[in-house]
Amino acid sequence: MSSDPKNRISLPLRLTTDAMLTALALGIWFLEAQLPPLVPVPGIKLGLSNIVTLFALFRLGPADAAAVLLTRVLLASLFGGQAVSLLFSLCGGLLAFLVMWPARRIVTDRQIWVAGILGALAHNTGQILAARLIIGQSAIFAYLPVLAVSGILTGLFTGICAQEAVRRLRFPPRFS
Amino acid sequence: MIKTRTWIILFAALLAAAALFWWLLGRRSADGTTVQIIHDGQVIREIDLAGVKEAYEFAWEDAAGNRNLIRVEPGRIRVTEANCPDRICVEHGWLSRELPPIVCLPHRLMIQWKEAAP
Repeated sequence: MSSDPKNRISLPLRLTTDAMLTALALGIWFLEAQLPPLVPVPGIKLGLSNIVTLFALFRLGPADAAAVLLTRVLLASLFGGQAVSLLFSLCGGLLAFLVMWPARRIVTDRQIWVAGILGALAHNTGQILAARLIIGQSAIFAYLPVLAVSGILTGLFTGICAQEAVRRLRFPPRFS
Repeated sequence: MIKTRTWIILFAALLAAAALFWWLLGRRSADGTTVQIIHDGQVIREIDLAGVKEAYEFAWEDAAGNRNLIRVEPGRIRVTEANCPDRICVEHGWLSRELPPIVCLPHRLMIQWKEAAP
């Protein structure tokens, strides 16, 4: 169980940290969008910005993680400029958050990768559900096994990144 | 707390199950040669790719001006052009048997293998 340091830091520091994490997540999201696709299957990506959400969840708390996630998603689709992608990111992001939040209570600080995988699986499921709504065809569920495989692999990767970030980064940060 | 080993076994099992499902889904459509073009949940066109002798292209367009250019060649089909914002359908390339259907979500358009009659 991670300690809950949010009571230890002042509100301005907390706000600043959240804003910094949001900027970081947005930057990571933008960089990832410039990379060529990993595999030739649409819809599969690393989801690197979830590292930031996980970090916020385990280091600060659910409210901060939700704020960072929502702000990042809204700003990202503002810059990306698509209503469809907003719906997708929201469905995926919210479902991922709703799974990672309780997962925080059952994993240790050395098992953050578990939350990463669970979050990625939930994210992909949310996107499939959104796609099912839009396309009106259950055949879209053919994507589920593909996205389950990719969710486990990408979630493991981003989860390990978040775990190392939580372990190594000094917190609360000292701005001097 | 759940042991790390338990988590690893759990995810390994899930990974294996998903991979198995993926393989089974690919096999199910393996023998058919007919593809369906579906818009908004309705089959709007069926093409038997085995019966295609010469390559051709046709455009799908709806009242709102959404447009996808679809290329049909002997044995294969793809989207070559689209005025949707993400163009994922174009990047998908040729419809394959191992990968899921070609989907253009902004236009609610989908190209998939028709399942063989049982």
